[in-house]
Amino acid sequence: MSEGHDDHDHGKQSFISKYIFSFDHKMIGKQYLTLTMFMAVIGGALAMLVRLQLGYPGQHAEFWEKLFPAGMSQGVMTPEFYVMLFTMHGTIMVFFVLSIGPVSGFGNYLIPLQIGARDMAFPFLNMLSFWTVLPGAMIIILSFFVEGGAAASGWTAYPPLSAIRSAIPGSALGQTLWLIGMIFFVASFTMGGLNFVVTILNMRTKGLNMMKLPLTTWAQFVVGILGLLSFPALAAGAILLLFDRSLGTSFFLPAGIFIGDELFPHQGGSPLLWQHLFWFLGHPEVYIIMLPALGFTSDILSTFTRRPIFGYRSMVYAIMAIGFLSFIVWGHHMFVSGMSPFLGTVFTMTTLCIAVPSAVKTFNWLATLWRAKIRFTTPMLFALAIVSLFVTGGLTGIFLGTNAVDIQLHDTYFVVAHFHFIMAGAGLFGLLAAVYYWYPKMFGRHMNEGLSKIHFWFTFLAYYGVFFPMHYLGIAGMMRRIYDPNTYDYLKPLQPVNTFITLAAFVLGAAQFIFFFNYFWSMFRGKKVVSENPWEANTLEWSTPIEPGHGNWPGELPEVYRWPYDYQQPDEEGDHAPQWQAPSKVGTK
Amino acid sequence: MAENTEANRDAKQGMALALAIWGITIVSVAYFFKYGLPELASTRTSQDTLYYIILALTGFFYIAVQVFLGLYVWKYRHRDDAEGSYWHDSHKLEMAWTIGTAVILIPVVFAGLVVWQDVKAAPPEGDMLTIEAVAAQFQWDFRYPGGDGEFGEWSPELYSLENYLGVEPDDANGADDIHMINLLVLPVDQPVRILLRSKDVQHAFFLPNHRVKQDVMPGIQTMVWFTPTIVGEYEIACAELCGLGHYRMRAFLSVRSEADFQTWLTEQANQ
Repeated sequence: MSEGHDDHDHGKQSFISKYIFSFDHKMIGKQYLTLTMFMAVIGGALAMLVRLQLGYPGQHAEFWEKLFPAGMSQGVMTPEFYVMLFTMHGTIMVFFVLSIGPVSGFGNYLIPLQIGARDMAFPFLNMLSFWTVLPGAMIIILSFFVEGGAAASGWTAYPPLSAIRSAIPGSALGQTLWLIGMIFFVASFTMGGLNFVVTILNMRTKGLNMMKLPLTTWAQFVVGILGLLSFPALAAGAILLLFDRSLGTSFFLPAGIFIGDELFPHQGGSPLLWQHLFWFLGHPEVYIIMLPALGFTSDILSTFTRRPIFGYRSMVYAIMAIGFLSFIVWGHHMFVSGMSPFLGTVFTMTTLCIAVPSAVKTFNWLATLWRAKIRFTTPMLFALAIVSLFVTGGLTGIFLGTNAVDIQLHDTYFVVAHFHFIMAGAGLFGLLAAVYYWYPKMFGRHMNEGLSKIHFWFTFLAYYGVFFPMHYLGIAGMMRRIYDPNTYDYLKPLQPVNTFITLAAFVLGAAQFIFFFNYFWSMFRGKKVVSENPWEANTLEWSTPIEPGHGNWPGELPEVYRWPYDYQQPDEEGDHAPQWQAPSKVGTK
Repeated sequence: MAENTEANRDAKQGMALALAIWGITIVSVAYFFKYGLPELASTRTSQDTLYYIILALTGFFYIAVQVFLGLYVWKYRHRDDAEGSYWHDSHKLEMAWTIGTAVILIPVVFAGLVVWQDVKAAPPEGDMLTIEAVAAQFQWDFRYPGGDGEFGEWSPELYSLENYLGVEPDDANGADDIHMINLLVLPVDQPVRILLRSKDVQHAFFLPNHRVKQDVMPGIQTMVWFTPTIVGEYEIACAELCGLGHYRMRAFLSVRSEADFQTWLTEQANQ
């Protein structure tokens, strides 16, 4: 392939229209990924500080004061700074890393390529959605530097803590900026979701019916719907909370709140209403993060086992079932909130239903591995790790979904362990697997293989080292979000576990620099890709030129003849038959 | 040949991954024998029983799936020939694990509902010790109704530094109420009902040894009841983020014999 094919149909583009205000879904996807990585560095650094405090409570080091004059005055972390750290860690990771990375980043990059379209349905909207989420992210970051610091009411922002300024220092301007940042995020994500759904429904190339879509695109399709239906609830909640904070309304504030010798004049609101609105978004959000990762896992497993994915239809139904169920389980976050115990029984039943499609996915993956011919590339290692993490995190969901058992484990580190395996684990490993897998398509070069493998091993082992012991902490009764567990006598014996977790977390954090280095170094120095289809995969993105230009295919759009998983198809020569390959025998599928 | 060494390297990754998955499984399961629930000190044994049933069930599937994952990774790490593996659907198998999962979970759900009913439904009839717990940044206050068994009325308008609980000064019922700060004293083997209210933000009333956890909400009165069974000193924790002092919102629970409790109550009433 020669250089310069970028400009096939659009002539020379200016730097600004090519790299900044680009309409090209591939460039927008890369912009999202760059933002994701930037936010991940910040979110990760916050987690390191959280672990520093928990591993070595009250430790003292002068140089911290120079970095954080207010948060670490005299070199010791203050409790309010600690609360701010985990609040912003959660917010940044959930929304600005694990949502915009796998969904906005890879969704935008892959959907047109995998369905044989020249771009997304609404390229301008696509550009707009990136330029809407960017200010949101900047507002969230800048909130650290306002008076009182960033928001400090947890990523769940429960009022009255998040509504009344005197309740905690971060509830001043920081919380207002948090809410405004969220509104920007929701606006952006809604535009994205609309684009995903319309593009997948209307712009599939000839021959590509819905039941021939790769599971990655299926997942993005359902995620688009979830985002469209659930995020507006958060936007509504955030706007109402802003009203409560600034205009004296009482949506979430009841009568009789007394803080700092002041009785507040609010009347008739309910903090439970916020929880309902927040978790009506919050639970689908978990699957918005997870489903793309599970889609990547299916496609990567199939490619590198050199076998068709097992149970394609049941995988599609499982994705749909999980998407549907995610809307009727939000109450399991509120078992001990004081809502009617009858609701607790209903939400237990709906919640445990999710175990069924989840088990189907797991067993289908295992069946895909059976009699496989595995190629242990880095994306494959990450995909296999996701299967392991998904099982670990999925099973602990049964404890928490069973209301009677949740009473003891609710708001303990058991929950922290659970969601870091199932949501954050799938999301993070999915994101990394996807980068390793699609990097040759995105940049026309390979990432360094040795560094990739080292990165995998440190990440996988350290991940278990950080998050598995948190189950023990939670079972032993350690609450979430506490600045110093040693306040409690019964938690003192757990300090060695906390110190171990902190050390493992530092390894996990440090290992990510190997990835960042590899990512940027390989862009310029990586081995050049020599074939359009370096993994010998079947999906349409591998039929484009090595570095596809704006419009994706230089000539006609490809036609699709088969489903994406024809590996070892007995009627075809060779070990795989890509979607764009016409059947060699008349009459075969 | 270059391809062969690559295949060998590949195969080694597979062996390492299988060993890592098995190693993680063994170590992670072993430590469950070292760390467990805090000692149970109330009649809520059914919650623990259900916990152990789910632990056994999920433990079995955790070990089984991780072992098989490792096994497949090990066994299929390298094959020269993958013919005959164009097998991608089995209605029977897919139905088996759909229905199988559901069948296993249905008894868990029902057991959960029975236990939930048991601990959340109305407390047993008859005379019951009722205590009010008041949560505020960052302190637990407890109010006993005194000899008359009736609490004095309270109102948020009366909150002040002197009248911390906002009690109506003219209400005769309140004259003998007993107010404790960060200390809850209970008689052993007697069901107790705790009425929970918050003065400011959300808190959660957590008794780790008694398997009790209930959010405390401003504007909503919540309630828990339980029966302590072992005399001793315990800690009460706040389990919902309530501000910068959340971590030190700790109180104490002292469970005493009936006689000791009555002595204590009389002492307090005479003060």
